[in-house]
Order: sequence, then structure tokens, then C-alpha cells
Amino acid sequence: MSTAAAPAPRSPRTPAGSPVTFGRVLRSEWIKTHTVPSTVILLAVSFAVMVGLGALVAWGLVSLATDEESGPPQGIGQSLQSAAYDVPAAGLPFGQLLIAALAVVLIASEYTTGMIRSTMVAVPTRTPALLAKTLVTAAISFLLGVVAAFTTYFLAQPILSGADLEFGLDAKGVLPSIINTGTVLALIAIMGVGIGALLRNTAGGVVTLVGGLFVLPIIAGLLTGLADWVEDAARFLPSSAASALVATEVQPDQFNQVEGGLILAGWAVVLLAAALIALKKRDI
Amino acid sequence: MIEARELSKLFGGKTAVDGITFSVQPGKVTGFLGPNGAGKSTTMRLIVGLDIPTAGTVSVNGKPYARHRMPLGEVGALLEAKAAHPRRTAYNHLRAMAATEGIPDSRVREVIELTGLGPVARKRVGGFSLGMGQRLGLAAALLGDPQTLILDEPVNGLDPEGVKWVRYLVKGLAAEGRTVFISSHLMSEMALTADHLIVIGRGRILADAPIERVLTGGQQERVLVRTDDADGLAAAVAAAGVDIRREAADELRITGLSARSIAEAALSRGILITGLIPQQETLEDAYLELTGGEVEYQSRPVNDQALPAGEGQST
Repeated sequence: MSTAAAPAPRSPRTPAGSPVTFGRVLRSEWIKTHTVPSTVILLAVSFAVMVGLGALVAWGLVSLATDEESGPPQGIGQSLQSAAYDVPAAGLPFGQLLIAALAVVLIASEYTTGMIRSTMVAVPTRTPALLAKTLVTAAISFLLGVVAAFTTYFLAQPILSGADLEFGLDAKGVLPSIINTGTVLALIAIMGVGIGALLRNTAGGVVTLVGGLFVLPIIAGLLTGLADWVEDAARFLPSSAASALVATEVQPDQFNQVEGGLILAGWAVVLLAAALIALKKRDI
Repeated sequence: MIEARELSKLFGGKTAVDGITFSVQPGKVTGFLGPNGAGKSTTMRLIVGLDIPTAGTVSVNGKPYARHRMPLGEVGALLEAKAAHPRRTAYNHLRAMAATEGIPDSRVREVIELTGLGPVARKRVGGFSLGMGQRLGLAAALLGDPQTLILDEPVNGLDPEGVKWVRYLVKGLAAEGRTVFISSHLMSEMALTADHLIVIGRGRILADAPIERVLTGGQQERVLVRTDDADGLAAAVAAAGVDIRREAADELRITGLSARSIAEAALSRGILITGLIPQQETLEDAYLELTGGEVEYQSRPVNDQALPAGEGQST
């Protein structure tokens, strides 16, 4: 390798840059996010899986409605239509799984690779760096959710029309459900960044968050019979709150969309706040 | 200028830095020398705020590092070669860092050329050799064209040409009036690069002085004398502050007297001297003497071949 002959003769008093601002830190985090191939791949996979799953659900509904042997089950026509309204958000569980992993990886990999030292030397007040990363991750996740849900909606209509189940965007609760698919993913992403920053470990962070999202509800389901409070408490789990948030119709005994959103946001805020406090107190 | 006051850092009860006070002046290269595990890296991490001091303070140009509005423009730090995501290219790594202070891409390309990273700038950092990783770290340190440079073992893993280049670079930066603080466990490298030396061992400052004074400071002259009448000569030079050791039947090691004084004493007694060899105190010896038992383990440096000729002749 060749080396340059001399240090650049720059005047020490002519700064190469300008003061750190949150906007600049955001830009830095955005560059970091899209210049690692795994981020782009994971996002593409999430999109494909969410849309694919939505289309599959639509197709399942159609085959249920047009069952030649028995015909559509009596009195179920109305609920089939309601179920069709939920198709755009049908891929959400897989979206949650992948976005949870992505968000944890984006922050925890900084610790495992040593990149965090470069980050925190550039932004020594620390807080803006984590907030910017959280914001970038949440924004990407929101967009992924909304775009995937819209794509699923448009892809599902020709399929659903096979059983006269197609519907307009103005159908009851459909548009909020599509937008809230993005909201859920954004909030899950914030939880992921929080957990990743707290644990500083990719595998540990992913297991913790996925466990919280998918295993806790199963455990709660198993324990429901033991005590009444278990069922009450289970409604506050992130998974239940996420379901309430994207529901096109408020289920009996469940929170409505706003309540679900607030509960999920509460989880996100608590985890992010804990991560920010730990970030300020710990050595990098 | 870097100023540390009573700076301490404990890791789970183990003291890494033990109440050190020092200042690093602009316009010269200050070497930070100590065996592995002496606290060099921890001190440097404390300076840029990666570690939070257990006690004491450290400031750069009058303020704690984190309080500067343009951290990269204030301090360039090479702390560990491994401070980049392996799947990101060198160019994008530098761009991401530069973005925090709106440093233009032209400057990013400039430091890439300056550090000789040009041919690999678009390659992922994960495939870099240790030497290239060091060059990337140096490029990142130079991004903001900082007044102060903190370089932790910058020549680690560099080829001889790279070692020479770093030496030339840091001297040039110091000559421009910048503060350069460079750590090493290699005495020989410090001897060639540093103007001032701070020696650390087990978290304490053992010496803080211009390099020539660390070399000779507190050291007495030592002369190896060969003579047919060792007993006679020993009696002739015996005085307070003079240490005489018999190395062989006809050989004395005399500390505390110059070769000339010994020759004069011998002449006045008519004692024949067949050999009079001043023992040159090498920097390496001075270093080992200073750090003494504080060396955790000793091994030859990785870039042994880069050691300058003429270093280490002890007789």
C-alpha cells in the first residue's frame, strides 16, 4: 500500500465541519442504516412475507366462502366480510418478528462490532445518537408497515372478488388498520432499539423481544384458567395491544385502537427511557 | 491541550487508572508509554468520554470532551482498530461519521487519500488487515481536522513504511501547533517520535518529562572497567555515592563516576586499565527500570522489524 507524502496542509483554525445538530446525527444514522446490506435484505424479506401472508389469508377466505360441497356456511357471510377487512394487516405478526429482530440488530451490532465507539466519539453527549437511531428505525418500520399493508390491500382485491368479498379503502376501519400496521411496527422497533441498547447483545436482545411478543401470550393463555387477573393482565401485553391497534372492529373485552396504541406506546417509551438512562450512566 | 486531574477509574473494584494528574501540551508529540494493562487505553477512553471517571476530571482545551460542539473538529481519536461495522465499506463508515458534523464528502476523500486507503475505500471493513484497520482509524481521527489528536497504539500492525509514515504524520501535526497524544508500549517507537514522555504503570504516572530527561533522569553514569588490579582500583574510586560491583576477576562495574574520573583515579595510582566502557543507558533500560515489576508480561512487539537500527546497543 502506498502512503501519501505529507499531511494535508490545512489551517488548524479552519474547521472541516460544523457543530453537531440532531439533524446531522439523524443523517449519520440514516447512512449507517442503509449502508449495511443486512438491513436492506431484512426489510425486503419483511415486505415479501407480510404481503405474501396477506394474499394467502385472502385466498383462504375465498376458498372458505366458495366451498362447492357445502356452500358458504350459513350466517357466516357477514363475518367473512369482516375477516376480509383484516387482510391488509394480516402479515403483521411476521412483520413484528422481523422488525423486532432488525431493530435489535441495528443497535446491538454497534456494540458487538465496536462501531459504538466511533458513534459515541462523534456524538459524545450520547442521547442524540440513540434517539436518532430510534427515530430512523421507527420511521423505516412505519413505512414498511404502511407500504406492505397497502400493497396487500391492492393485491388482495382481485383475489377477494372471487367471492364478492372485495371492499373499498373507505370500508369500516380499513384505512386506520392499514396505517396502524405501520404504527405497530414503529412501536415494536422502538422497543427493539431499547432492548438492544440495554442488553448490547444481538442474540439476547432478539430472544428477549421475540419472547415478549410471541411467547408471553402463549404462557398467558395457558395460565388463564388459574386466576381471573391473568386474563386482565394479558390484555396489557404488547401482542394484545398490537392486535387491538390494528383491529378493524373492537373485540368484546378488548381495548379499542386508541387504548391499544397507548399501551404499546407505553411499552416503547419505558424501554427507550431505560435505554437512554443506561446509556448515560454506563461506559461505552 | 489535555488536562487530567486526579483522574481515577475502577472496573469492578480493580483500579485501572489511579488518581493521575498530567497535562499534554500543544505543539509537540507527547508519548504515553507503559506496559500492556498499565491504563493507557482507559485513560484515553476517559479523555473522550467513552468511560466515565470514578473520580477526578479530564478536559480537552478547557472543556470536557462531550461539551464541545464539534467533537470531531476538536479531537481526533484512534482508540481501537476495531471501531467500525465489518459489513460497511470504509468510505461509508467515514461518511457516516462525517455526517454528524456536516463534514463534506470532499474531506472524506481527502483523508482516504491521506491515509493511503484509496484502493480499499469501497471494500468492506471486515476484510481489512490490522494495518488497514489502523489506517481507517487514523482517517476517522483526521476527518474533522482536529486541534488535538489522541492515538492509541497507532503503529500497531502497520508495516515498516506505515510506521514511518505515522511518525512523520504526527510530527507534522505537532509542528502545526496541534496537541498530539500517542500511546505505545514500544519504547523504541517513542524514542523516535515523542518530544515529551508520560510513563504509566499500574494506573500511576511514573514519569512525566521531556524524553531526554526520562532517558537520563535519575540515572547515574555506569562504566565497565577492566583492569589487572581490580582491588586497587576499587579502593581508589571508593567514595560516597559510588557503587562498585565486581563482574569478574578483572572487571568492575562502577556506577556514579564518569569514565574520565575513573581513568584519572587509576592514573594517579599507577593502575593499568585495559578496558573502559561507558554503559549507555538505553531508553528501553530506562523504561524497564521505571516500570519495574509492573510489567505484566513481556514479549517482542509485533512490528519488530520496524525497530530502528542503533537501538538497544548496551555495550
